[in-house]
Amino acid sequence: MPRVFITGLGFITSIGNDAVSVTQSLRELRHGLELYPPFQTPEIPVKVAAPVRGFNTASTDAEDWTFPAGISIKRELLRGMSPHVVYAWCAMQQAIADAKLSETDVSNEATGLYAASGGSPYLMGHMLERMHKLGVMRCSPLGIVASISGAVQFNLVAHFKIKGSSCGFASACASSSHALGFAYDDLALGRQKRMFVVGAEDGNMDAILPFAGMRALSLSTDPATASRPFDTGRDGFVGTGGGVVLVLETEDEVLRRGVTPYCEVMGWGQSSDGHNVAISHPEGLGLRAAMTNALRSTGTAPEAIDYINAHATSTPIGDASEARALRAIFQPSGARPAISSTKALTGHGLSLAGAMESGFCALAVRDGFMPGSAHINQLDPECEGLNIIRTTLSQQPKYALNNVSGFGGANVSIVFKQAR
Amino acid sequence: MPDAATPNPGNAKPFLAAPKPFAPEDEASLREALKRCSPSAFESAVQYRKTGNPEHVPAVVIGIIERFVEPDLRIKLKDADDDLRLIEDLGIDSLTMMEIVILVEDVLQMSINNDELRNLRTVGDVKMFIDCKIRGLALPKPTKFLPIEQIAAVMPIQPPFLFLNEASVSSSGANGKYKISGQELFLQGHFKNNPVMPASIMLEALGQLAVLFLLEGATPEPGKVISSSMIYFTGCEGVRAHRVCRPGDILTLSIKPKRMKMPLATFEGSIRVGQEKAAIAEEITLTFGYAEAVVPQPSPDAAEVNGTASTKPTASGATPLRAAASA
Repeated sequence: MPRVFITGLGFITSIGNDAVSVTQSLRELRHGLELYPPFQTPEIPVKVAAPVRGFNTASTDAEDWTFPAGISIKRELLRGMSPHVVYAWCAMQQAIADAKLSETDVSNEATGLYAASGGSPYLMGHMLERMHKLGVMRCSPLGIVASISGAVQFNLVAHFKIKGSSCGFASACASSSHALGFAYDDLALGRQKRMFVVGAEDGNMDAILPFAGMRALSLSTDPATASRPFDTGRDGFVGTGGGVVLVLETEDEVLRRGVTPYCEVMGWGQSSDGHNVAISHPEGLGLRAAMTNALRSTGTAPEAIDYINAHATSTPIGDASEARALRAIFQPSGARPAISSTKALTGHGLSLAGAMESGFCALAVRDGFMPGSAHINQLDPECEGLNIIRTTLSQQPKYALNNVSGFGGANVSIVFKQAR
Repeated sequence: MPDAATPNPGNAKPFLAAPKPFAPEDEASLREALKRCSPSAFESAVQYRKTGNPEHVPAVVIGIIERFVEPDLRIKLKDADDDLRLIEDLGIDSLTMMEIVILVEDVLQMSINNDELRNLRTVGDVKMFIDCKIRGLALPKPTKFLPIEQIAAVMPIQPPFLFLNEASVSSSGANGKYKISGQELFLQGHFKNNPVMPASIMLEALGQLAVLFLLEGATPEPGKVISSSMIYFTGCEGVRAHRVCRPGDILTLSIKPKRMKMPLATFEGSIRVGQEKAAIAEEITLTFGYAEAVVPQPSPDAAEVNGTASTKPTASGATPLRAAASA
């Protein structure tokens, strides 16, 4: 089977709008949380979010949006976009440049794109309101394209002239890891030579606040500690948005193009809790099975794993469930991989999470560091025996593992390895 | 349907008759709707909504089209003639056309059917269409676009003596293009080592466009059809050549009928290369005759603005204004 490598990354995230600033934030544990202005009204008990900086997409009219210097998007393209598509579009350009891909490398039948996003509840809401108020024929012609959950791949596939496989994945917070996993399969099975993997979320009021109803959001008013996975005082996640793109290529393509990859994607595993529509299995059975499958299919022993980027979103139940799953996998062999949740810095990116944190793993493996798990004041006793690192370590992980879990109990684990 | 919020599609009453009272909040929403259009478009829209006077409509329509055209192409609209094409010249695709329509409907308080949009290919078509809708008049015959294959299929003149590559024909005239390829046989001798398009051939090209107009655009007497084998040149007046035309030049030809009375039809014609005037003919006169066959007269209400107007595909078979939703 062809080996698969990550050769390019693009980031629009709450902790940086390019790989360099993201790396710096991860190393220095700089978070991207703030008192999010749209939440600062008495009716909204949630105060903190981790918005993407430099973009203003507050208006329902895309032509009002403003972007960081150097980014301009033609109206013709913009009209089919929602905020998360803009983020993904920017990240895609970074990833293409980073991987040194030519136009023909991007647009050919052996290059595909798998994506994940929750769509744009914001624009969908606006469009439906307009339809009810003004009549069905006054909906924006591209309102659907811009707002349903496939928006990100509709736009990127068309604008970057992708000719290979393309589709979207909808497993909530596991989505973009599913996208990465199936992209890996397409490459390993010889169906494609190169795949773009995209995760993106609006991360604005309408994308985040619906989670308040299920009491999943942190009500903290302190941006410096609101997101604190594995801490005893954690009280819910902090929402974020953005766009991350990874370029995956087969070994043949890496050699042909003579590029230096970030790391190898060894493979992946998934499983389902079969338990509850929205709550993780208390013992983390599904995630345990996903990790087991990932380790087995890649032929990796638990003790080989140096670093784990945990899913831990800072919710009381979810973090404990993952801690139990990690103990079950690693304690029997006495392995003590370094574990952290970078969601303490970024907030929880929902569909974006898997791609974003896989990108973090790729940076960590290439650049030789393991980002710490920030904002832990008192470690949850559930984590006893686990090596949850509070500060960033300047050690190069040879093997890294990324976990995600989504609604419905969908779990995905992906194994990365040093490219050399 | 008792609900007044649902306008009867396509059956817009002329607003001239009963302009709705124009409230201050209408002006505010109009300003919001037209916020990306030129101030003159907004002013014209306000005037139209206040008075119902259709003279204000073209400025509104042009202003709305301009707003949806990429900035670098907007210059074309500044001194646009009515032949400026929406798709080819302005880069407006079917989805953008929908956006234009939605805004026009909103601002002019009218409703437009998808079927009615199909034939709108030029800025002039759009202006004429909206004007007819507002005045409650029948819609004119749509502009026909003919690629070389269709031109050759209807013309009595054939290659290598056909000097049209493409043409558009409406009831008010015809436009065509011919690129001087350099392969024209006569250029070998006109002139020695110096190929120049003969002015007589340029006049011939204008004449050929006039022939095409007679066959595809002219409205002969009811029940009559002009015969393609009975059209001949009879004379011309006021012909002047202004520019030497060489291989590589694209001639933009234009003719407009001045008089037409069986058996004579007189046109004025002009040729440009880019923005430069190349030649003009004040009058070109052709003689024509009717074919024997009698065609059925169109039913008088076929062109009524009633929402069930002809859904027949255009001559080119293209339906550019139908959004190609593949969802």
